[in-house]
Amino acid sequence: MPFFRVIRWVAWKDLISEIRSRETISSMFFFALIVILVFSFSFSMDQSETRELIAGIIWVAFAFTGIIGLGKSFSAELQNDCLEHLQISPASKGAIYLGKLAANLLFMLIVEIILFPMFVIFFNLDVVEQLPVLLLIFALATLGLSTVGTLFSAMTVQIRAREVMLPILLLPLAVPVMIAAVEATRGALNGSPIAMYGNWLQLLAVFDVVFTVMSFWVFEWILDS
Amino acid sequence: MSRLYLRWGLLISAVGVIAWLAAGYYTRHLVSVTPEAVVNGQLTGDLVRVQGMVEAGTLAGDVESGRVRFMLGGEDEAIPVRYDGPPPENLRELKTLVAIGRWEAADRVFLAHDLALVSNYGFVMGAYAIGLIPLGLFLFAMERRVGLLYREIKQSKLYEPEADQDVDAR
Amino acid sequence: MINAMIKWMQRYEGWVGAGGALCLLAGLYLSLVASPPDYYQGEVVRIMYIHVPLVQTAMLAYSVLFAGSLWYLWKRDPIVDNLCHAAAGISAFLTAAGLITGSIWAKPTWNTWWTWDARLVSFAVMFLILVGYLMLRTFVDDPEREARYAAVLAIVGFVDLPIVHFSVEWWRTLHQPLSISMRGVALSGEMLRPLIVMSIGFSALFVYLLMVRTQMLYLTRLLHAKKGRLLSHAHLSDLDT
Repeated sequence: MPFFRVIRWVAWKDLISEIRSRETISSMFFFALIVILVFSFSFSMDQSETRELIAGIIWVAFAFTGIIGLGKSFSAELQNDCLEHLQISPASKGAIYLGKLAANLLFMLIVEIILFPMFVIFFNLDVVEQLPVLLLIFALATLGLSTVGTLFSAMTVQIRAREVMLPILLLPLAVPVMIAAVEATRGALNGSPIAMYGNWLQLLAVFDVVFTVMSFWVFEWILDS
Repeated sequence: MSRLYLRWGLLISAVGVIAWLAAGYYTRHLVSVTPEAVVNGQLTGDLVRVQGMVEAGTLAGDVESGRVRFMLGGEDEAIPVRYDGPPPENLRELKTLVAIGRWEAADRVFLAHDLALVSNYGFVMGAYAIGLIPLGLFLFAMERRVGLLYREIKQSKLYEPEADQDVDAR
Repeated sequence: MINAMIKWMQRYEGWVGAGGALCLLAGLYLSLVASPPDYYQGEVVRIMYIHVPLVQTAMLAYSVLFAGSLWYLWKRDPIVDNLCHAAAGISAFLTAAGLITGSIWAKPTWNTWWTWDARLVSFAVMFLILVGYLMLRTFVDDPEREARYAAVLAIVGFVDLPIVHFSVEWWRTLHQPLSISMRGVALSGEMLRPLIVMSIGFSALFVYLLMVRTQMLYLTRLLHAKKGRLLSHAHLSDLDT
């Protein structure tokens, strides 16, 4: 099957099943909401300290929410032998990976875009001018989490203790993404000029490129029957 | 298997010898007493090492010339120290150090010719213990297991060519 | 029937082990008895003679894990898979020991048990990656899939580690301008000697550990497989009669 058609097909399949069931995005969204509430109880939120912490809180919420979505990405394939069908299909496994990556990326971004206004409201942030930069940071960092996350989701879907193995494998490897995302978000929220935190965006871009290529190359060994 | 225990016995003995030598080094160069011990007269020999803290407001003298005076305090007692030696670096009040010298009981003053850092030897012992002992146990357990596995494989004759077994079964 | 690599290990492990043991004994003597204390740090500099070799050997083991994983994916040799598994376990052990000895060294020198320094944090992340690797191997049931997945994880983890180190280093230069730079040890010749001897000793010890542990994993699997086949042989011969 032609390469790009496979990618579109896999992504479209995930999108359609999500539109019909709305399972993944709604569970991600409500989990994130709970995380935000718990954080707001844990830290005393007066204006001066909030700025320093809020970037970290945002990304912890997004990371854990993303893990839920990434886990569901392949565990949904366990029903009806869909996973075996993917394994034996003649399509390029790398194309399947990119399709899954696109779907995961889309779901995470949707949840983030719905959640971020809530952050703005709850914590009284002033973000109008930085909106484009923030969207860029979200996109790059989410891509970073999704590249490695989709790979590990495929790896852990058929093993014991799958729900706990995904975060255990993902989070240490995603440390650069988390650091860069938090620092860049903090810079943007503080209103600093882009030059001050631009190197973090470069780091995110490098991470994305390196790990998308690597996961693409390596995926055929994961989805081998 | 007995060769395993012999090897490890030798190794542990060798480590024991080195530990004994290190303990000798410690008693010769590092062991120190408190100011209380000095005051109570529990001294061994002429060369005494006293560990205490330079008390606030007691440091006097000229650091460059290498002649200073201070009170060296322990838990309960403090002794006056007169230091005469190479110019001490980083000498300041509230610093914990070791004064090396002689206690003049008659004048109740400690004449120090050298100042040294606190030896912190407990950290060294702890680090070496944690670095080496678990590793040794790990290696010993693995070697023992490998020995047992080889023995078990030999006993169950797993290396007979399987063609013979087919012939015998028929 | 025993594999060529295992035969090679059986022949040379004695030499490597004995050499490593002698080196370590000599190194211990030099570190604890025959070398002088440091001018600034005093006696605690002796911890350097065990901490630095542990860290170096842990990173050597991690590199062996990476190379072995590439080799496995290329040749699919099950003994190479055992080698990777062995290297990961040893590396995890050495990393933990390195972290603990580093912490013990930090307390008297920097007056803190832990600091968010780039090397410490990336070393801790390496430990977490290794733990994840070992857990993955425990939880996968099929041995061939276990080998494949573990090899992929090792490769991804190895490529990620420099990026982790970079990012943490940038992060720390942002938040801790007064960085605690090199541990302020002016390495004289007398201090270089125990360090080098201990480094060589630990490297030899690592090779020996690798040989022993690979054999252990190989033999365990061999025994397991053969017992299964013997049982099935017994079954089949029962069916015949």
